[in-house]
This record gives sequence, C-alpha cells and structure tokens, in this order.
Amino acid sequence: MSQLHGITHDLFAELRPESTPAHEPPPLHAPVPVPEPALAREPVPAQGSAPVQAFVPRRAPAVLRGRRPAPHPQPRELWVGACLHDLPLEALGLGRSPRPVAVVELRDRVQCVVAADEHARRHGVRPGMGLAAAMALVPVLETRPRDIRRERRLLERLAHCALGFTPRVSFVPEDGLLLEVKGSLHLFGGAEGLCRAFADACAGAGARPCLALAPTPLAALTAARAGCPLVVTDPAQLVGRLAPLPLSALRWPEDVLERLSRMGVRTIGQALRLPREGFARRFGTAQLDALDRLTGRRPDPRTDFRPRERFHARREPAYELEHHDAILETLAPLLRDLERFLQARQCGITQLECLLHHRHAPATRCVLACAAPTASAQRIEALLEERLARLTLPEPVRVCELRSGPLVPLALSSDSLWQSGEHGGGANGESPAFIERLRARLGDEAVYGLRLFGAHRPEMAWRSVAPDEAGVRGADAQRPPWPAFRRPLWLLPVPQRLTEREGRPHHHGPLRLVGGPERIETGWWDGGEVTRDYYVAVDVRGVRLWIFRERSPPHAWFLHGVFG
Amino acid sequence: MSVEVPLARLLEHPAIWRGRSAARIATVSTGFPALDERLPGHGWPRAGLVEILIARFGIGELRLLMPALTTLTGRTAARWCAWIAPPLEPFAPALAAHGLALERVLVVRTDTPLWAFEQALGSGACDAALAWARRAHLRDIRRLQLATERGRTLGILFRALRAARDSSCAALRLALEPAPHGVRVTLLKSRGGLRGSVELSWPPAVAARGS
Repeated sequence: MSQLHGITHDLFAELRPESTPAHEPPPLHAPVPVPEPALAREPVPAQGSAPVQAFVPRRAPAVLRGRRPAPHPQPRELWVGACLHDLPLEALGLGRSPRPVAVVELRDRVQCVVAADEHARRHGVRPGMGLAAAMALVPVLETRPRDIRRERRLLERLAHCALGFTPRVSFVPEDGLLLEVKGSLHLFGGAEGLCRAFADACAGAGARPCLALAPTPLAALTAARAGCPLVVTDPAQLVGRLAPLPLSALRWPEDVLERLSRMGVRTIGQALRLPREGFARRFGTAQLDALDRLTGRRPDPRTDFRPRERFHARREPAYELEHHDAILETLAPLLRDLERFLQARQCGITQLECLLHHRHAPATRCVLACAAPTASAQRIEALLEERLARLTLPEPVRVCELRSGPLVPLALSSDSLWQSGEHGGGANGESPAFIERLRARLGDEAVYGLRLFGAHRPEMAWRSVAPDEAGVRGADAQRPPWPAFRRPLWLLPVPQRLTEREGRPHHHGPLRLVGGPERIETGWWDGGEVTRDYYVAVDVRGVRLWIFRERSPPHAWFLHGVFG
Repeated sequence: MSVEVPLARLLEHPAIWRGRSAARIATVSTGFPALDERLPGHGWPRAGLVEILIARFGIGELRLLMPALTTLTGRTAARWCAWIAPPLEPFAPALAAHGLALERVLVVRTDTPLWAFEQALGSGACDAALAWARRAHLRDIRRLQLATERGRTLGILFRALRAARDSSCAALRLALEPAPHGVRVTLLKSRGGLRGSVELSWPPAVAARGS
C-alpha cells in the first residue's frame, strides 16, 4: 500500500494513449496541482461504515488528476440505474411470502441458493450458500428452482414500464436496467420524483428495484448494485459520492477483487486513488477502463432496448379458472401491460389472440379483430368480455395467454368539435367501436357492407365486404345504368320455385304480371349460365314481386325478389 | 300587427312546445310532400324511433324510406345506415339506383335484432338504423326510444300490423297498407303531428310499370 502511494503523484503525466479518447474535450484549464504525498495517506472510511453523505473528498482522486475533463455545471446525461437484487424471487412471484423461501440453482452439481427472502436472510441464509447449509440454518426453508426465462420476462416488463419515462432504456444482464432521464426530469418533478414514480411503476409490475441516479451509466448502476440510493446530478460531486461504495459492486472477476482486497483496496475511492499505469498492468486494462467509464472519463455507450414488435404475455393464476369473470380478471393486468406496450410505441393493434390453456383439452382460441387500430385496454377488455361470454370452455382454464397481431402506427387525430350526429357531425371514434362490438358478439361474418359488382346476373351484381373496406367513401359510386324501378330492393338468396296453375304462376294466390319481360341470358362461360325472362308481378295482397321464367324446359317460374 | 310579431318570435323559442308543431325538431324530408305535411317538423325525426306497422312484408315500406335514406347517406359527414336482421338480402344495385350511398350501408345478421338495434341507435355511429323484429315489448320500445335520443339516430322498426293494438312510446307510429299506385300511410301516433291517413303514389315511372 505504501509503495503504491509513493508513486501516485508523478506517473500521471504519461497517460496511456488509449486512455485518452480522441473525442474527449480538451482541458479548459490547467491540471490540478500535484498534491503532497502526505495527503495520500488520508484515512479512507471502511467499507460501508460511514454514511454516504458524510464523505467529502478534499481533493480529486489520483485517477482523475491527469487530464481532468472540463467541469460541467449541467451534466450531458443523467442515468437511473436499477438493480433487482431479488429478481429470482420476484420473477416467481415470491416477493412477499409468509414462510422463508429461497430460490436455488444447480451450480457444479451442488444446489446453491441464488436468492433468499427477508425471512430466510434474517436467519442467515445468503445467496451463494449451499442448499444443505441453508437448510441447516432454516429447516422449514421452502425452495423453488430458478426460472431464468421468467426473470428475463420480468425484466422486459420493467423495461416496458421504463419506456414510459424515457425512450432510452437499456438492459444490463442479468438483473439491471439503465434509463437515460436527463430530458424527462422536469416532467416528474426532479430526480427524486422521477425515481419515486419509476419505483411505483416497478412495484406495479411486482418488483422492487434499488434505484440510483448519476451522470454516468456505470456509476448509477454500481450504486444501485451496492444498494445505495445515490442521487447525484452534479458531475463534480460524482467521484466523491462514489468513493465509499464497495468495489464488489463493480462485479469484477473474483480474483481481481481478491487481490485488491489483499492490498487493502475495498472501496471505489481507494481504487480510484491508485496510479493508472500500475493499475492497468496489475489488474488489466478492462478494469481501468471500467473506472474511466465510472467517472465519465471515457464515454460509455449503451445499446438501447428495442421493444418487441409483437406483444406476447401469459399469466398462470394460482388456481383454475372456471368463470368468465375470473378469466377477465386474470387478463386485466396483461391488458394493462398491452396498453403500456402500445403507448410506448404510439401504435395500435387490429388483432389480438387470446389463448386459454386447459389441463387436457387443446387450448381454446379466441381472436379479436378491431375495425380500427386501438391501444385502449378498456376497449379491448369490453370486446373480450363480449367474446368470452359467447365462449363455451371444455375445461377450467389454467393459463391465459395474449398475443397481439402486428403493430399498426396510430394516426393521432383531434376530436371533433361536435358530438356525433350533432349539427351534422360525423362519427369518428364511435364508428369502429360500434362495429367491433357487433363483430365481437355476433361474429365477423354477421356484419358486412355492400358493394356493386359489374355483372348482369342479379345474384352476382353485388358482393358483401368487410365494413371497414366498404366505409371508404366513393370507392365505386357509379350508379347502375337502369332506372330504379326496374330492380327490386330485396333479393332472395336463392330463387324460390313457384307453383303453377293453368299456366300462371302462383304465390299465395295467382300472380298478375304487370311488367316485363326482361331477358337476362349470360354466364355460359363459367358454368353459372342463366337464361331467364324476368317479369314484375303483383300478388293478391298488392305486394310487387320480381319473378322469372326459365327459358330452358321445363320453363318453371321462380320468385327472385320483392320490390319492397 | 305590432303584437303579433313579438308573439311569433316568442313562439319560435326552442323551449316552447306547442301541441301541433312540437317545437322544432330536426327532421329529414320523407321525399313525399303529402306525408311531410302531416308529420311533426315536416319529415322523419333525425333522432327518434319510428314504428312502421305493415300488413305484409314488401308492400312498399322500404320504397317509402328510400328518399330519406338517400339524403342521410349522401351527406358529407354521413354516418352508417344500419340494416339489422333484414328478412331478405338488400339488393345493392337497386339501392344504388335509388341513390343510396352504398359505402354507408351496413348489414347486420343476428338472432337478437333488438340488442343490435339498440347498439346501432345508442352508439352514435349511425344516422339511421332499420330493424326487423319479430316481437318487441313495451319496455324494449322504451329502451330503443331512449337510445335514439342518446345516439341522435333515426330508428325505424318494422312490425306486423297487429301490434297496432299494443301501446308504444315510439315518437311516431305509422301503419302501411297497399294502395293501387303506392301505399296508404295511416298515422297512428305522432307527437304533435296530424292524425289520419294519406295515400302516396310512387313516382310516375314506377306507377306506369305497375299499372
């Protein structure tokens, strides 16, 4: 230690070339004067023994002294680091268990404790401990196997929550998140307000991360990992505030930490005071690099978290669900997640698949289709409710799963001044909601629009189309060439054979022919040939009908339409 | 004179209801001047339930509505014109020939027409909704009437003529019977309109073919 301190002051002039990045701003003022060696022996508080606020460094640590970056009153970036110490527990939903519980994992053929809840920790169970040792301490300890995939999923959910605070979120394997929040601080009432809001959002997702805020990502993350809720917005204070944190929070390789601790270097402040060249030679450039990133000496670019382009979530309730209400209740948090997911992207969905898994029977599928992209959980829930009410379940439901269709960018539009129908105002939001409601309850085929199709055969002259397609104004606004009175307003789906008495067609009595004939003879090329003579007939009660007589034998009469 | 003018102006006030004119309600012309004359506000109400009682399906009840539906669907910000549970297929080319904007027509096939009808009326997404229901109780009619006011929709419910005996709270009730060149419309109930019947004949082109 003394040997190291002895060489502190003079080695700093010759910086290793790679430790001064080209894009670092040139120093704006002269370097800090080299301090007298006596000060180097200033006592450093032992690990975790002094309160963080109390430690104020009296001079810049050695690592900083060579070329100090220009002091910025306003940092360029501010990062919130989040570390989930209890991620294995929280991922399994064991955040608050009445009994001592631990999550175990097989490491080198030995079951090891990965995380233990507060109960177990109070009895001395520590992560990394063998299962046998833990059981000896707490005989009633409940153990659960670790589920990495669920941990990953929880972390992803938190990242989605974080997207509500800033667009720059990055993952830090295995249990951390980083949020760049400089731009959003004022929206949440400063650093404390933002941290509180984010902690609340995480609590809603079932996790209690430790949060810290600092001008560099690594500093924020390290403080969070150390369990220290640090809030530093001034870069000049950063080093001083970091100094008392234990070195182990940097998660360096075990042997490096071991060697450093044998030298008596246990805190970040102590490590920063070591000479750069010697530090790099003894402990590797990676570690020096980490220290540089920690203090903001080197840039620390992070890869932004790119949210998935489809929403997929599942939920496994503790008991089997038999009622629609219970299923809806289970789906409700997933729908809220979906809403956040969509809002973060300013997107909507037009299709959502809901899968209900049973014990034996194949999963029940229920696909919602929306007439217009939607991002509202409330609207989707109303649709799901209609759809589920129609569903017959073969067995109780064990797992509920939601899968979205592709995301569609939401076109933001202003609300109309008038309400729908008021002063001739059109329907904006009401129209798709109305159609979706009908479709959810009656099925997609039950609701359709009409479109003309150029053909002479009456049954081919129109098509039913999905209403959202038909709703396009002026799609084909051309009118048929014949006058309105020539065709009936109603058409029978299939022509109905009429009885015949004394050569005259009958339909609830004899029919009187009042118009026609009009010959329609076409369709010989596609097998649907028609050769008909159409007439307008009036029945005994005064109803005008559209009937035809087949031109081919046996010259039968058919009813094809009603003028209405 | 000097007294009459302020009085006339006073009577124009929307809060004042008179038996005959039932204040000023927004209406859309039926397209038949003889019928317009007898209806409150001179046309179909823009928001309200109209019951059309027909002796038999197809006697001209749809033809009667065509001019109004054409006007409603032809506006720039037109909403849907919903057909709930029609007994046959509406023949699109004929609707278009009458001038209806087809892209505003929505057909709904359902076994529960009253539910869909109430949705259509109350959602505010439709300018007009037509429904064919086998039976409707007084309380259903009341719900529907309230829904039309909520969604500002013209609701038209087709029922059999025998329902004329039941009481109803629809804004307007008509009975339709076939006539030689058109249809005879009897006003059974109209809020502030005239009672009695009127015989409508279709435009000459139709009548010529018919005779």
